[in-house]
Amino acid sequence: MEPHDADLRHHYDSELEEIRASLVDLGTMALSNIRHAGIVFSENRPEEIETVRNADIPINAKYTELEARVFEILALQQPVASDLRFLVASTRILYELERSGDLAVNVVKALARLDGIPTDASIHSAVSQLAEASAAMFTRGIEAIATLDPEIGMGAELEDEATDHLTASLYKLVTLNQDELGLETAVALFRIGRYFERIADHGVNIAENVTFVVTAQFPGEG
Amino acid sequence: MTAATKRREEETKRQVERAIGRSGIDWTSVWFSGALVVLLLTTLSILLVLIADILMKAWPTFQERGITFVTDGLSLNPATAGVFTAIVGSVMIATIVAVISFPIGIAAAVWLEEYAPNNRFTQFVDTTVRNLAGVPSIVYGLLGLAIFVPLVRALGLGGSSDGKNVLAAGITMAVLVLPIVVITAAEAVRAVPYSIREAGFGVGATQWEVIRSHVVPSALPGILTGTVLTLARAIGETAPLLVIGVATGYFAPAGDATLADQITGPYTALPVVVFSWSRQTQAEFANTLAPAAIIVLLAVLFILNGAAIWLRNRTEKKW
Amino acid sequence: MANNIQTAHRATAVPMKLNEAGSIAVSGPKRVTGGTPDDSNRVILELDAVDVFYGDFHAVDSVTIPIREKEITALIGPSGCGKSSVLRSINRMNDLIDTARVEGSIRYHGVDLYGPTVDPVEVRRRIGMVFQKPNPFPKSIYENVSFGPKIAKYGGNMDDLVEESLRRAALWDEVKDKLEQSAYALSGGQQQRLCIARAIATSPDVVLMDEPASSLDPIATLRIEELMFDLKQQYTIVIVTHNMQQAARVSDRTAFFSVDVSGGQRTGHLVEFSKTTELFTNPRESQTEDYITGRFG
Repeated sequence: MEPHDADLRHHYDSELEEIRASLVDLGTMALSNIRHAGIVFSENRPEEIETVRNADIPINAKYTELEARVFEILALQQPVASDLRFLVASTRILYELERSGDLAVNVVKALARLDGIPTDASIHSAVSQLAEASAAMFTRGIEAIATLDPEIGMGAELEDEATDHLTASLYKLVTLNQDELGLETAVALFRIGRYFERIADHGVNIAENVTFVVTAQFPGEG
Repeated sequence: MTAATKRREEETKRQVERAIGRSGIDWTSVWFSGALVVLLLTTLSILLVLIADILMKAWPTFQERGITFVTDGLSLNPATAGVFTAIVGSVMIATIVAVISFPIGIAAAVWLEEYAPNNRFTQFVDTTVRNLAGVPSIVYGLLGLAIFVPLVRALGLGGSSDGKNVLAAGITMAVLVLPIVVITAAEAVRAVPYSIREAGFGVGATQWEVIRSHVVPSALPGILTGTVLTLARAIGETAPLLVIGVATGYFAPAGDATLADQITGPYTALPVVVFSWSRQTQAEFANTLAPAAIIVLLAVLFILNGAAIWLRNRTEKKW
Repeated sequence: MANNIQTAHRATAVPMKLNEAGSIAVSGPKRVTGGTPDDSNRVILELDAVDVFYGDFHAVDSVTIPIREKEITALIGPSGCGKSSVLRSINRMNDLIDTARVEGSIRYHGVDLYGPTVDPVEVRRRIGMVFQKPNPFPKSIYENVSFGPKIAKYGGNMDDLVEESLRRAALWDEVKDKLEQSAYALSGGQQQRLCIARAIATSPDVVLMDEPASSLDPIATLRIEELMFDLKQQYTIVIVTHNMQQAARVSDRTAFFSVDVSGGQRTGHLVEFSKTTELFTNPRESQTEDYITGRFG
């Protein structure tokens, strides 16, 4: 055995690296659609609702393809240790990414049901802030995959409190103004708040999965 | 499939056919194997001519005398001279060789292969045994004359031959073939796979138990084949016997000779008879009796070789 | 990729925490464990700073492994790492090699196996061995199993013992009608199970297996592995294997050996000894990680 012949499984290595790069790509695609959903609201562009819905189709396709690829590698290479942790985490991360993409679509779907996007200044600002915070949290998840930095996952729960606060204040605002907004709009805003909060949660989960890949434990365990 | 694809495939097929097809006759090989066959046939035919010549010369003897040539003793009269005395001598020598050289040789081989530490002494013994196997047989004859004949005499077994009897001859021949016995037996022991020894030790057998139960039984066919063939060598040797005083002329064993008398008295052996008859002035001895004795000697050797093969097949279970 | 992950891992300082008692504890990552093995199992064999030499050649350097009762302990590592040397020093098979020398101590139920009064023959009756290539004696199936007990002067009913041993080796049903036939007539996998039956016929409490399935096809291999699970109820098993998946499948604990090529000699040493579930999901040493993920070796 000549020590540390790092090229011994060159092909396998590049396959794994490809999966990781594809996860980042898929995350970036989902992220841009999440941002787009926020912009549809904040910049009042109902005509782009359809664009957001359509953008989810390639995301779903890429998700299916990547998941199949991960299963193939699991079956053929019998990975262990960090390789195994990475591939198992990949399937979880894929799920989180795909769900986040769906949630962006849900946001615009909720908007589509309304007669018009609410323009009340305080509500408008609360939703826009939440959308941005949510996208930012999701971005942290993608960063974690891109850099394999376990620290992001370790602090993610704490970071996410900002999104939770913004969601809570949006709920309060909608509750206070429900008479002016009308029931249908109020329910839609609750939903949208919930969707953005969930997207941020997915970002946290992604970062925590990266922590697991690197350290073999989830933040808060052990 | 398009026509173009089909054409390409046809073309590939033709190319492959050409590439892997036979490219004429390999004349070097033909010439070489032809030369080998010619050499082989030459060797064989020399041997065949020799045997045929001897057979033809021997034929009248067997025709006239039949089995009596084998059952009659020595005689100065070519009409009644037979090889029985010589056969008895040869068989007795062979028996003594077997009794002495087999146990000692096999024991030495087992010791060398299984027990001997890998040091200078062992290497010295090993080399010496190999060298002894190459020493000319006449040297062993001198050894026998210098040591074994006086030894037999000193032991009081000299009898009427004054020590020049089958005992001295058998001991000398035993020493002569001993190195070969050791070498062939050692090879047979060495050929037993190490894994069988490991298996034995692995279940808690001692070295003795491993050797007795596994190594020697596994090596036995090889040992037997090798040792029986050395007997053939002992029967065919002439030179040492001449040196240690085998009777080359006529001698008359007493009519009522007991086995003890035969062992201690004068003796002769088949190759010696061939040797002495071929030097007789009477033409019958050299021209017809000696070839007949050669045929008997060859027959004995054939029987011995056959016995070796039979023994090997019998001991070599079809595991 | 794996290297990236490892670099990231090492960069994450394992936090040293003061625990309640006030002493410093290194809190390593929590590991995934599959329930087994049970830490309450007694240590039956203790390899304590074992060095193996062949003449001047230092083959194995200071190996310390506690082997627990009724567990399967796997020794893995690249060729030349000394795992077989360690295995063979446990039942003193190394004694058969003139130049072999073992330093340190190997304690069996607390008794040093290399003590001056120890008889290696008796050791081998209690610590049996199964070899890499099936090596039945060129005798009948029955004689193969009965040889060990016979030389140990077994006093009971030999027929029963042979049947019992063959049953435990999961071979009885296949050979019960041909016990007098040659062992060589069996298939490779059957021969290996016969060798296992032969090893357990002397009632050892430890069975050493030196790559027992390396010459068998996958089905015969799985059969041997299944058998090892059954044998574990009664015996302590130590197995050397080149097949990491096999170590992962069958063993409770795994010792990973590596070889140090510096200084012109190739000296093997123990890199990591952990529960198998830990070693294959989250090895402590990067060298182990490199080897089990196939990055070198």
